[in-house]
Amino acid sequence: MSLEQFKDRNVGTQEYRHIQASTSPKTPMEKFTQVVKRTFSKELFVGLKVVFTQMAKGPKTWHTVKYPQEKLPIGPRYRAIHKLLKLLESGNERCIGCGLCEKICIADCIRMDTRYDENQRKEVTEYSINLGRCIFCGYCAEVCPELAIVHGPRFENASEQRAHFVIKDDMLTPVDALKHQKEFPGFGALSDDADKKVKKTPLAY
Amino acid sequence: MVKFYLDGKEVTANKGETILQAARRNGSYIPTMCYLSKVKPIESCRICVVEVEGTEGFVLSCSTPVVEGIKVHTNSQKLFQHRSDIMKMYNVNHPLECGVCDKSGECDLQNKTLEFGVDSQEFSAKDMHRPVEDWGFIKYDPALCIMCEKCVSTCNEIVGEGSLQVKLGGYGSQIEFTGDDCGNCGECMAVCPVGALVSENFKYETNAWELQKVPAVCAHCSSGCELFYETKHAGAFTANEEKIYRVSNDFEYKSLCGVGRFGYDVTQRGGKDEKEFDAALSMLRKADAIRFNSRISNEEAKILQTLKERFGYKLLNGEAYAMQRFLKAFGSTSGERYYNGTLEDVKNSDFIAVIGTKVADDNPMVKFHMNMASKNRKARISYLHPIEDASIQNLVTQNIRYEVGTEEGVVALLVASLLKGNDLPSSVKDYFEELDIGNLSAESNVGEEELERLERALVRKNAKTLIVGSDLYTHGRAENMAKLLGLVQKYGDFKIVMIPSGTNTLGVANICELDASAEGTVVGYNAPGDYVIGMDGQLSTPPLPQQEGTLTTIDKRVVPTNAAIPFEGYTLNDLANALGLDAAHTIDYTVQLPKKAGYKAVEFDRLLEEYRPYSPEQNGYLLQNGAESVAMDLEEIAELPEYNGTVVYNCDPAGQMGALSAKSKNLCADDALLGSQQFAVAAKIKDGDTVRFEINGEKFVKVFKIDTSLKGVVAMNPLFSKGLSGDMLCSDYRFHKVNINVESGHNE
Ligand code: SF4
Ligand code: SF4
Ligand code: SF4
Ligand code: SF4
Ligand code: SF4
Repeated sequence: MSLEQFKDRNVGTQEYRHIQASTSPKTPMEKFTQVVKRTFSKELFVGLKVVFTQMAKGPKTWHTVKYPQEKLPIGPRYRAIHKLLKLLESGNERCIGCGLCEKICIADCIRMDTRYDENQRKEVTEYSINLGRCIFCGYCAEVCPELAIVHGPRFENASEQRAHFVIKDDMLTPVDALKHQKEFPGFGALSDDADKKVKKTPLAY
Repeated sequence: MVKFYLDGKEVTANKGETILQAARRNGSYIPTMCYLSKVKPIESCRICVVEVEGTEGFVLSCSTPVVEGIKVHTNSQKLFQHRSDIMKMYNVNHPLECGVCDKSGECDLQNKTLEFGVDSQEFSAKDMHRPVEDWGFIKYDPALCIMCEKCVSTCNEIVGEGSLQVKLGGYGSQIEFTGDDCGNCGECMAVCPVGALVSENFKYETNAWELQKVPAVCAHCSSGCELFYETKHAGAFTANEEKIYRVSNDFEYKSLCGVGRFGYDVTQRGGKDEKEFDAALSMLRKADAIRFNSRISNEEAKILQTLKERFGYKLLNGEAYAMQRFLKAFGSTSGERYYNGTLEDVKNSDFIAVIGTKVADDNPMVKFHMNMASKNRKARISYLHPIEDASIQNLVTQNIRYEVGTEEGVVALLVASLLKGNDLPSSVKDYFEELDIGNLSAESNVGEEELERLERALVRKNAKTLIVGSDLYTHGRAENMAKLLGLVQKYGDFKIVMIPSGTNTLGVANICELDASAEGTVVGYNAPGDYVIGMDGQLSTPPLPQQEGTLTTIDKRVVPTNAAIPFEGYTLNDLANALGLDAAHTIDYTVQLPKKAGYKAVEFDRLLEEYRPYSPEQNGYLLQNGAESVAMDLEEIAELPEYNGTVVYNCDPAGQMGALSAKSKNLCADDALLGSQQFAVAAKIKDGDTVRFEINGEKFVKVFKIDTSLKGVVAMNPLFSKGLSGDMLCSDYRFHKVNINVESGHNE
């Protein structure tokens, strides 16, 4: 592909369509007339007609999603606020603290603390994502070798502060919700034929 | 010079160089797994093989010297296959735990597995249970160990402890920790190419790639070892707060002792406390003297000296003052400002005499270098000290135990022996002829036959070193001893190394005009005083690991160090500026360091440019050794003092280096008074007693422990737990007669 056409900065020779903007009212009288004309034009009654017809038909036929009480389902590959998953069998946390997500994060917004725990294992004591900086690129979910960090469907992300972050407890599947935890089919998940790609190691026993 | 062909290119090798060394020097890559530059070739990995034309099979490049004209090929399909098979072997049953392993990201096994494209395994062996072992500060995971044996070689050839050995058992081979002698230096951990050895306080704390390496110099002793402080934010939720997670170093060529490697948790947070700053200023305005210790940079010493010149403060630093006088007297006979030896000279010696220092505790790096001399050059080592040091008995070939206090006599006898057979001017010759050897020998308990044995050991040695320690600098007759030692440098073929007692004692002695004593108000800088600035003081200032500046090391080298983590409070420079000096930063003083002491007018930032990590070269520059006017006014040996009864020797154990390291929680050294059975009898105390004694008005209450490796009636008294006042005791002669009182008995 050639970049020629994008490099052409000569506006004059290109075919531009000029839009004629209507002249704006000048005197107070002209302004008043314009407001009255727009207020009582036909479109108002077209709209009102639709509303009243639907009201008459009753709620059964309405298509309105009553956000925020209702939300539309979201595709698995949608990348919204992260979730930290647990192992379905044991309920242990999946995250092993390898730090790959922290390293790959392009917005540098993941931080985690780990320690050597009593069972001689690496324990992730804290894990946080600064959503004020996260660009929801999905790299973290893609790099995670344990399918521990994934993007969930929760997209509401308003806050009074820029530095708005989630901590481990916010993201981690609670114990009682473990049975509802879905295996992640979305971004960064294994492909369907992943099993076939595994090479076997010979074992001496 | 030997010429040979490397992958078709004609190159030269130095005499005695191995193929691997020559190839690396010429920029050719040969992979290795067990090769470590600082020890002899281990030959356990066999991955460094190369092809030599005309030779059947592969040749081990790490241990085969270059022969004129050989044609070496470092890479071929066959070699690649061979190396790749070795990597497969290493990976048999290797736990798949890079995800949590502390070595991940800097692991040789990880790197070379990738390099040789090992993505499947044909070999297998029955796995076995290999539990993690606890080696003191370090944890050993035999499942991750690849049996490269770097740790064993390092412990033996560099550190000299031999605490590790290979436990052979085919597939079940592993490294065995034999224990007792381990000084917790962490050298084995530093050289381990995989995650098998990790320190307890770093294990699973963070990942290697998150850490930022700050090149610096160890703040704990005068060896000034280069190291990297590895830092990162202190925790997931800390804003702008940094923490040192570990210390690493250029382990391929250099070493660290345990204090340097683990004693990094001595940093401080500071804020700008303006009220305290004003209080400090008003104290300084009315003060007559500033007392300070030697754990400061050259630049800070220069600030103090400038303050003295401008406002007439007296400067007090007993330990550096002693060194200053000692060097001056030394120069009056040697004709040179400094001693002529370095650690490198110690390493290359075939004869070493040590006097006046418990060297393994005073300066571990000197001991490491003595060990290297012993292992590589089979050096004869004579150790002259009132206390036989059990921890270096494997190196020392001759122990000469002299009586406490008789150093002057011993130095005279030693110098006479060392200079025997050398051309001496008649005045010096006469001086030694007039020595009453019989009397000195009787008083000091150094037998003439012991000296004869020492002289015999000197025969046909051509790299001889004399190591001198702080027992001599602080002795009442220090100056005459220094003059005698100066003769050895002038007329003998010896290298002399003097161990400065504190981190930057040599720098302070060079830069400051110190005073013997002072009256009136004394402000302490990292030292006791009527008002204390710095460590443990009212106004806190950054400790050495949080400062930038230069230090003067035992090698008479000026080395730059950087601030590991920021310190937000005030510095000595701020105080000096408020008093009327003018320098934006402490390091503005680097160019002003005194030229007559051999410093160069180089800016600090230029010094940093010279910093070359990962290479055998040292950073910084060497002090110029200047000429001194010679005045041969040797004095008669004074009557040798007698120390009867119970005597204690002020000496921190190997795991501690004074007040700064005492702040570290990672380090744990025993603070007990250690004595022999004989000492216990003489002092009428028993093991476990809490005892009370006093040295120069400083009161000690300690547990007494019997150390069976000690002999005689001298006990070891660690000072580190006393903090700043303990540092001050280093200004005095280290042996003291004390009255020991029992506080409370055993099991009461
Ligand atoms: S989605 Fe992207 S920006 Fe957000 S945390 Fe993950 S890697 Fe970082
Ligand atoms: S990549 Fe996955 S397993 Fe690794 S630290 Fe991040 S969430 Fe945990
Ligand atoms: S030692 Fe190296 S290869 Fe083995 S688990 Fe650790 S990082 Fe991975
Ligand atoms: S512990 Fe480390 S250095 Fe020692 S043999 Fe094993 S892998 Fe090598
Ligand atoms: S304490 Fe001394 S020997 Fe040990 S690492 Fe520091 S400078 Fe080197």
